[in-house]
Amino acid sequence: MTSNIIKFIHEDRIIEVRNPDPSETLLNFVRTELRKTGTKEGCAEGGCGACTVVLGELKNNQINYIAVNSCIMFLPALQGKQLILVEDLISENGSLHPVQQAMVNYHGSQCGFCTPGFVMSLFSMFKNHGRFKDEVIKDSIAGNLCRCTGYQPIIKAARSLNNRNKIDHFTRNKQSIIALLKKINNKSIAIYKKDKKYFAPRYIQELKKILKKNIDSHLLSGGTDLSLIVTKERKDINSVIYMNSIEELNYIKNNGEYIEVGSTTPLIKFENYIQKYYPDFTAVLKRYGSQQIRNVCTIAGNIATASPIGDTLPILLSLDAKVVLKSIKKTKIISLNDFFIDYRKTKLKKGQFIDSVRIPLFPKNIFKAYKISKRFDDDISSVCASFNLEIINEKVKNIKIAYGGMASIPKRAKYCEKILLNSSITEPIINKAKEALEKDFKPISDMRASRKYRMEVAKNLLRKCFLEITQKKLIRVMD
Amino acid sequence: MIKEIFIQDKRPHESGAKHVSGYANYTDDISEPEGTLYGAIGWAKKSHAIIKKIDLKNVIKSEGVVAVVTSKDIPGRNDVGPVYDGDPIFPKKKVEYFGQPLFAVAAKSTELARKAVLKAKISYKTLKPIIKIKDALKKKSFVLKAQTIKKGDPVKGIREAVNSLKGEFTTGSQEHFALEGQVAFVIPQEDNDFKVYSSTQHPSETQQIIAKMLGQKSNTITVLVRRIGGGFGGKETQSFIFAAVCTLLAKKTKFPVKLRMDRDDDIIITGKRHDFYSEYEVGYDELGVIEGLKIKLASRCGISPDLSGAINARALLHIDNAYFLANVSVENYLCKTNTSSSTAFRGFGGNQGMMVIENIIDNIARSLKKDPSEIRRRNFYQKEKKNITHYGMKIEDNIIHEIFDSLISSSNYKSRQLNIKKFNLENKYLKKGIAITPVKFGISFTTLHLNQAGALVHIYYNDGSVHVNTGAVEMGQGTYTKIAQLAANELGLPFNKIKVSATRTDKVPNTSASAASSTTDLNGAAALNAIHKIKKNLASFVQRKYKMKNGEAIYEKGLVKFKGKSFRFSSLIKEAYLNRVSLSSSGFYTTPKIHFNKKKFLGRPFLYFCYGAAVSEVLIDTLTGENKILRVDIIHDAGRAINPAIELGQIEGGFVQGAGWLTMEEVNWKSNGQLITHSPSTYKIPAVNDMPEKFNVEIYKYGKNKENVVNKSKTTGEPPLMNAMSVFFAIKDAIASVDDYNTTPIISAPATPEKILMSIKKLERNHEK
Repeated sequence: MTSNIIKFIHEDRIIEVRNPDPSETLLNFVRTELRKTGTKEGCAEGGCGACTVVLGELKNNQINYIAVNSCIMFLPALQGKQLILVEDLISENGSLHPVQQAMVNYHGSQCGFCTPGFVMSLFSMFKNHGRFKDEVIKDSIAGNLCRCTGYQPIIKAARSLNNRNKIDHFTRNKQSIIALLKKINNKSIAIYKKDKKYFAPRYIQELKKILKKNIDSHLLSGGTDLSLIVTKERKDINSVIYMNSIEELNYIKNNGEYIEVGSTTPLIKFENYIQKYYPDFTAVLKRYGSQQIRNVCTIAGNIATASPIGDTLPILLSLDAKVVLKSIKKTKIISLNDFFIDYRKTKLKKGQFIDSVRIPLFPKNIFKAYKISKRFDDDISSVCASFNLEIINEKVKNIKIAYGGMASIPKRAKYCEKILLNSSITEPIINKAKEALEKDFKPISDMRASRKYRMEVAKNLLRKCFLEITQKKLIRVMD
Repeated sequence: MIKEIFIQDKRPHESGAKHVSGYANYTDDISEPEGTLYGAIGWAKKSHAIIKKIDLKNVIKSEGVVAVVTSKDIPGRNDVGPVYDGDPIFPKKKVEYFGQPLFAVAAKSTELARKAVLKAKISYKTLKPIIKIKDALKKKSFVLKAQTIKKGDPVKGIREAVNSLKGEFTTGSQEHFALEGQVAFVIPQEDNDFKVYSSTQHPSETQQIIAKMLGQKSNTITVLVRRIGGGFGGKETQSFIFAAVCTLLAKKTKFPVKLRMDRDDDIIITGKRHDFYSEYEVGYDELGVIEGLKIKLASRCGISPDLSGAINARALLHIDNAYFLANVSVENYLCKTNTSSSTAFRGFGGNQGMMVIENIIDNIARSLKKDPSEIRRRNFYQKEKKNITHYGMKIEDNIIHEIFDSLISSSNYKSRQLNIKKFNLENKYLKKGIAITPVKFGISFTTLHLNQAGALVHIYYNDGSVHVNTGAVEMGQGTYTKIAQLAANELGLPFNKIKVSATRTDKVPNTSASAASSTTDLNGAAALNAIHKIKKNLASFVQRKYKMKNGEAIYEKGLVKFKGKSFRFSSLIKEAYLNRVSLSSSGFYTTPKIHFNKKKFLGRPFLYFCYGAAVSEVLIDTLTGENKILRVDIIHDAGRAINPAIELGQIEGGFVQGAGWLTMEEVNWKSNGQLITHSPSTYKIPAVNDMPEKFNVEIYKYGKNKENVVNKSKTTGEPPLMNAMSVFFAIKDAIASVDDYNTTPIISAPATPEKILMSIKKLERNHEK
């Protein structure tokens, strides 16, 4: 049964929004409808974190507190969740939450505009982690920009939380919130508003039916890129199918041969899982975007967006990943290598959706990935490189190299691979392989890097990869 | 003589609890009256062109649009230029930069307004733009006349020196990126008056500009600012156009209008930091002491003068940083380009000037194969001699040796330098570098008349609570907190008895911008002046009533102690009221001692100097240019800090902002003048992992302002930013190691991974030769 009423929990009660404008952002709703102005707009593209709110999500009878960018989330995505705003952290007796108090005590705010966002990111950390090591702290706030403090007092505030009692009013209210969440978490959503349509099916079967009738719909799986059409280009998206309510697609399976990732699996879940197989994959994913972004975005979304600078794509290409495409009746498995056609064009046809991504396991292989960008955190790569190879009897075997940022699509370096295949690792071979990259790629200059730099770095990353292999250690600025 | 009580209280920011709970209101958060409309600005998509036609039919027809304004709707002055004209609100005939506002709409919602402006059809006759400094120099395109400063005989100095060097250097532009963007909210009042909420550092000039635009008197416009979400110079003049356009829309519609800029539009429309290009020639002796220096210094000013004259003057005044220059000349060109008008940004040209000399000194040291720290120290101003600046000011408060030496020792600079050289020998691809740089920064507006401030203080008789109002704008620097601390201390009251209220032009008129690091110095002193006047009223009342000879009193712990008689503050206030004594006063302050002849570039433009020094250690990857700040040690002078916690925040934050300027922040234009870095996805300010891994910041222990500044404190607004120069030179040091320190690396700021890699490539080529 479908409904056009969005139900969510706010301030310990159920809020219903009847037939909303499906492309209204959550931030706009919070500021203008709920009239809570603590949550700020800094950039309207998920790049500064000033709009961070926390969503309580019911998972296995527990609440996950995930930080999200409300500026690039559409209101209907609230369906079935608890909305927590900076104002809600204050307890009934008016006292500040431990996170808020720590920020005051350690002088974590100066102009104060970014502060609510930091508070919410730290609140999510406070609820989801037992201990707050520097690594956890920095990862939690890497998507929050502050122009005043230089971050040191905020980190000190976060560290001080290690000594705080973890019980807060959210802990005390948890059971009643869980009961409320259970009450509202069961409807598929269909909204028709003027010429806009929005669907949030809960099952694959439903999705197929909707897709059949609404073949021109945009599929939204995370939506951290798609939403910019509304917030930046100021265009309407007439029909959206929101995939993230389909729990059947939120999974990671491993059959020993390959890992299969369902298309609505949030990146943050995947990055933790993949760590033990491909640690460099995780390292790049941590820098893919902020936690607010990785909490909602998906690998399938990154693949379908097909940006030449999508960070997962060169990695998946070098790992020879396959995409499982489904339509009403058919299932098609296609190699990612054949999937990208041209700038932001793929083989995904109307009526099809990405069901899952299969990532082969190469237990004997060496796998390395590098992301080069101006800024370490939450930046778009100038060049992203990924290497997957085996060394048998000192010869390079089964080599797959792929680059992002070097062409209009993420692409394998076939000429380069050819030089290296079956060769031993010598200086002349590496130099030849480096030269071959000039045949593989003709990069462009833009605001992130010049064509010359891109080519130079692409070559040097190849070199670095083999240096790291032969010297058996990492050569990296960030450990 | 009454003893002076100095404050040193690390209390949190007065709005801290409100910041963290979302109840601190910014302009966009003020509750809107029924009928409020929302604005958006339509801007030019050409950088230099004659406007043939602006067709707004589709804009007017667009959903939700209530009104459109163009240059024709401006009854008075169509310009928001602060000193000179040149910044039209809407140009009539000619577009001069990509992003120049051309019209605006008011609509039922911000979203509808922003959609509507995209529907304009504008036809142009395109002209050739000038974008780069070098092109402007070639075409002699300037916004103001060139300035020169000269001391001694630099030509002779260079000629007679045993060594000389020539070179060129640039520093980049920088976007302010205050987290709160540009925003204004205007409510029409009776009599065609307007109440203007603006996120601005300069309420008084906002008021005057709007009044001139409407052809009305200044007393019809009231500008209010409770707090702004960051300024950094980006709201000193760049906020004017938004407040002006918003008022124009409110006038036309007769409804309240809010104009909140989208981040991209904000960055595209507003001016940024001046990038500077310099050519230099320097002569120096075998010890590296500078004997003659000639510099040509040019900046990208954009389309108009804005504040470029003062900014370039400050660059000239800081071309010495902490170094004595016996013979120096600087020719300064203010280039007119078809880009948004470059403007104030923390440091205000001073940091750009300082980078020029620091790079020269670094190059001298490298050419002599000496540790740059030695050459720096050797060139420092001395205390008794070599203490006259190139603009004729005697430096009387020099503490750079003390700070520099204690930092060298506390940071273990020497031993770390040895370890780094060892690391570099052992590692081929990852290299480390270290550098120490000094800061000397002059405090006062270089425009004399701006060094004044007013205040208004009331004490309420029923409970003795105190209301303080000044011209200071709270932008995160903690000025409200510090002014309240000063007032509380002066009255011997607890902090919570003092309320500093929103800055507004109808309470304190004719204010200067909250800028030049002088906000608390000026406004704090004005507030104290007002309090002194009230105290005087109280003293004469007590003397009169209790027949005392001596009216002196100590205000302490809620008590007012006269010789022989003590009162509780609140009782005294009540008694004074009942005896008809005024408990309210205005206050005023002007900076003493300063004078400056702008034409001759001579005088004492600064009341005092702030000093600091920083040691940075970096790690670079010679294969990719990636880099990381490993450790930073700073000792910075804050005089006798009123609130050491707030000053520490300024020092750390300023450093990281400066490091951003010199490393990752890169403003890019296409050759046609289109800005392509206009959002956080394309323009990168430092994030948490860009902070130094180890960050040891210390306020100089023995700091005390020699001049009579509130609490004997020194400001920490702008000067700490320049401590970040050490990061740039540490990177340069790491690059130099690639060639075993044999060649001076050539690199300009910002030292992005790309620039670092390209600089390394040049050295490697030398190394192979």
